[in-house]
Amino acid sequence: MSDERKVYPDNSGIHARKAVGKRQRAALTFAEKLAALDDLRARVEPINRARKQRGRQAASPPATGRN
Amino acid sequence: MAMQKTIEVVIRLVEKRVIGNYAIAGAVAALNYIQPALTEDLDILISVGDFERRPSGLLLLGPIEKALADMGYMERTDVGYRIEGWPVQFLPAASPLEEEALNQAIEIDVADAGRSPLMARCLTAEHVVAIALNVGRFKDLLRIQDFLEQGVVDLKRLKNVLERHDLTGKWAAFCVKAEIENPL
Repeated sequence: MSDERKVYPDNSGIHARKAVGKRQRAALTFAEKLAALDDLRARVEPINRARKQRGRQAASPPATGRN
Repeated sequence: MAMQKTIEVVIRLVEKRVIGNYAIAGAVAALNYIQPALTEDLDILISVGDFERRPSGLLLLGPIEKALADMGYMERTDVGYRIEGWPVQFLPAASPLEEEALNQAIEIDVADAGRSPLMARCLTAEHVVAIALNVGRFKDLLRIQDFLEQGVVDLKRLKNVLERHDLTGKWAAFCVKAEIENPL
């Protein structure tokens, strides 16, 4: 086993930028936020559709050709 | 599919006197104070008086349903009526906290900048937090954290709301769970 101390990257800059982004988005007008919500939903829609389809496929047993 | 149009339809229901007292609640109300986050639907808190009450005590959305149908909105989803593409849930104020939240709701402008104002009622930040605390799902607690981090809550007013509705114990438990010092 190595005695070398593992050096991890400093993520504080990333977290700080994320916090700034959050504050900037929070400062949008209500109408702008509503538009962002519509946009978010549209982007997630294909994922939700695919998930539902997978669920339906899992629920219906594969055809065996027998009755 | 535009939430702004969905809210406009709710305002029209008020203008037609189908709904009396109402307020935008839940994730869309939170939007007035913090950054946008994905939600499935629009929650509209309304007073119990706007529901049709059966002798059994059952509350029905009859008048609202009829008015929506007259306006061409007849589709129902598993989470509410579909209005301009968004499911909308009309929720009766079901506790003294929600009743107070409804009565103290504020007016906000939902119109785009530069257009004539379109005012809608929305829960105050303190009531959004208190209701989220009371519901207590993981996503509600995360929302409270966002409100605190972004400094959009009047802590004195929040303390009063929590005390009035016996939620100080839940608040203390939330602070422990969130690993934060109680700011109240």
